[in-house]
Amino acid sequence: MPGQLETPRPGNGRGPGAPPASPQPEPPRSATPLLVEGTVNGIRISVPKGTTLLRAARLCGVEIPTLCHHEGLPPEGSCRLCVAEIRGQLAVSCMFPLRDDGFKALTDTPAVMDARRYVLSLLINRAPKAPRIRKLADEYGVAPDPRFMKDPDGCVRCGRCVRACRANGPEAIALAGRGFGRSVTGPFRKPPEACIGCLACALCCPTGKITFAEKDGARRIWDREFSLAPCPECGARVFTAEQIAFYGGSASAACPSCRKKLMASELKKAAAYEAPDGLPLP
Amino acid sequence: MRLNSIEELRELRRSLAEAPAPERRLWVCGGPGCLASGALDVFRAVEAACREEGFSDGVRFRADLSGCLGLCERGPLVEVEPEGWLYGGVKPGDARELVRETLAGGRFVERLAADPKCREKDSIAFYLPQKRLIMGRFGRTRPESLTDYLAAGGYSALELALSELGPEEAFRRVELSGLRGRGGGGFPAGRKWRALKEARGRPRYLIANGDEGDPGAFMNRALMEGDPLSVIEGMTIGAFAMGAEEGFVYVRHEYPLSVERLNGCVKAAEDMGLLGSRILGLDFGFRLRIVEGGGAFVCGESTALTASIEGREGQPRVKYVRTTEAGLWEKPTLLQNVESWANVPMIVKNGPDWFRETGSAENPGTKVFSLVGKVRRTGLVELPLGSSVGSLVNGAGGGVPKGRRFKAVQSGGPSGGCLPESALELPLDFDALAGAGAMMGSGGLIVMDDLSCLVDTARYFTAFLSGESCGKCAPCREGLPVILEVLTDMTEGRARVGDTDFLESQARMLAATALCGLGKSAANPVLSTLRYFREEYLEHEGGFCRSGRCSGMYLPVVDGKACRACGACQKACPAGAVEGSGKEPRRVAADKCVTCGACLAACSFEAVKARRRPEGGPDARTA
Repeated sequence: MPGQLETPRPGNGRGPGAPPASPQPEPPRSATPLLVEGTVNGIRISVPKGTTLLRAARLCGVEIPTLCHHEGLPPEGSCRLCVAEIRGQLAVSCMFPLRDDGFKALTDTPAVMDARRYVLSLLINRAPKAPRIRKLADEYGVAPDPRFMKDPDGCVRCGRCVRACRANGPEAIALAGRGFGRSVTGPFRKPPEACIGCLACALCCPTGKITFAEKDGARRIWDREFSLAPCPECGARVFTAEQIAFYGGSASAACPSCRKKLMASELKKAAAYEAPDGLPLP
Repeated sequence: MRLNSIEELRELRRSLAEAPAPERRLWVCGGPGCLASGALDVFRAVEAACREEGFSDGVRFRADLSGCLGLCERGPLVEVEPEGWLYGGVKPGDARELVRETLAGGRFVERLAADPKCREKDSIAFYLPQKRLIMGRFGRTRPESLTDYLAAGGYSALELALSELGPEEAFRRVELSGLRGRGGGGFPAGRKWRALKEARGRPRYLIANGDEGDPGAFMNRALMEGDPLSVIEGMTIGAFAMGAEEGFVYVRHEYPLSVERLNGCVKAAEDMGLLGSRILGLDFGFRLRIVEGGGAFVCGESTALTASIEGREGQPRVKYVRTTEAGLWEKPTLLQNVESWANVPMIVKNGPDWFRETGSAENPGTKVFSLVGKVRRTGLVELPLGSSVGSLVNGAGGGVPKGRRFKAVQSGGPSGGCLPESALELPLDFDALAGAGAMMGSGGLIVMDDLSCLVDTARYFTAFLSGESCGKCAPCREGLPVILEVLTDMTEGRARVGDTDFLESQARMLAATALCGLGKSAANPVLSTLRYFREEYLEHEGGFCRSGRCSGMYLPVVDGKACRACGACQKACPAGAVEGSGKEPRRVAADKCVTCGACLAACSFEAVKARRRPEGGPDARTA
């Protein structure tokens, strides 16, 4: 009977056929900001609750190798290189949230080293020439194995390029296909039409697989050519026309160094500004 | 018709009970196995015969398509009500006889008996060890009919929960029942339910996982096609007990009939006021939608499944936050297998003590298994948990066919494991199977005989998993092809010394480092076969396959004493390599033999045996 229902049940207002409910504000999880305390390789540290193990380790000065992790991008935990041991189990440190006091993390146990060696032994066969992978492989004593080198295309499928492209807006490239055949590409395995030639993908690629070339005021990347617009101040060619258009107009067309200068002079003007009596400063 | 109160539901049920039942019914099995062997044609022919005989009004005599009757081996099946007779291997041409003799005349047609020894379904050996609860309505209702479901006691659990129990008691019954997730992991349902009940955030979502993808497994399909309303009722009760607003049934695209029936039943339940807003006129609403998956195996994994429902690429995510805290659209979400949901109405209606009467203490209830492979009787078997593996394989399944020997049983789908003969003693429960290195999985069991090579079996499953790997994490994407390469080398005579140990270390590392449950368990086919059949791996390393499965890695030799000169091997040989005639024992000429294995399979007396090639070593295949 309705009278026996203990809690009011929202959600009945939505009739069939309505789209999924839009996210509703959640009550705050906890009113007090909490710190959790524990150790990384025996080094005591206290961090805000939810901090990742990787960040805590780095704050302690403990180095953990990473490939798919990038400070500016959402984490994915897919390369499995940054594993560490916590509560007797392997955890992916770039995503493991420290939520309880008294955590004890170890980043150099035999199990951790074995796991990293395993991951590197697989990735070195994909990118045997990439300096960063080679350096890591050397460090962990892993060599490429021709028996299992099936498609050494230089890409380790970390997806940093894809996440950078998404973060910047165009979402021009993605990882397509599955399993071993998964690779980074534009839609339908064609040059990505939505690409604006911003280079974010190439600059955050850990293996140098994504290449580009600049010549005669043009930039080539992903089999597409972009014209580089001259900076209205100094004439340097830094941004592509598509990039300037994508972010909305010409105001930001100045190259980074000119933009710095322009901003500095604006600031100077503001500092020199003397407000007439009774008016608030801008 | 829309029911606006619980009283109206009771009234409808009373009127259904008072409606006159047909004198006799034929149930043509509409389960996946029988449909594949032509049950629909049989049903159409039976319908036509009924028309001819003037029974098309369905009042006195009826014929209908039912849910899966289980004994797929003998399909298409026809069950007779009320006698309980079971016919097997029925053809459309038998329809007229069935209708005239059995339906109208009440006489048994001997030549169509599903089992030569007995007429009644319940006394056939296949059904003796079974306890059909989940499949209890299969063969008693038309799967897509809401009125049949109501007449067979359906929705009485929801009625009880809404009218007398209230959400707390309904929740308590499930928690105390000890029900464990039927999707494979066996996680206690009560703990999941409590986590969702106590989760913060609205709305809350319920998901039924019907993305059954294991090769050879079809119990979820049979459930969604045979009694879809039990899943829907279970979810509605769950929504009431835990306070959820919306639910999804995720069904793989390759199950079009499941999708059709579920959609039809959702519509029917909504029209009758048993689903949607203001259920039975009460201040309680639950919306249910059927979502079709795109066909990726990994979408059976909970986080990949939620990503797929959200419209994103079906890929797992790193799971340090439980789905009950943040699942679908980052909202509290409870995901269970369709079979877990189908248990809920029974538990809520009959109480936790009743549920615990079946099965063992830690593993109460029944489980539906799909039994396939080298057994006499294949099909869907529902057993109390804790029954022995042997009671399934040798009891219901009737054991390995004559002339062959049991070798292994593969349990739990591709990421499950292969168990040896000693496992026949094991109880079928989540913990015992996991302890033995296999897993319950969703309940698929594949029986293998002595002609199956375990290295080749591991290769097959690894190839399957490698093809289904989503490719997100490095170990699964790059590591499975390494394992597959070694296994392929082993089965093709190119193995290197030390490959067995290398495989083991690779498989262990894969299990330790992969991202999701699929990747972590992808090593199981290799690890479990290594655990029980390591010798065979070492033999393959040396270029010998004792099962006669891996071409070029053995030589068939006829045991002159055991040979009865029947000539079966000679007939089967495509290369003319079997020599001898009349009553003399046969011989295999090594130089002509192409090692296809046909003679081994043809011999009923275990006289043809796979022997190490005299020249030894893998080079033999080029000879």
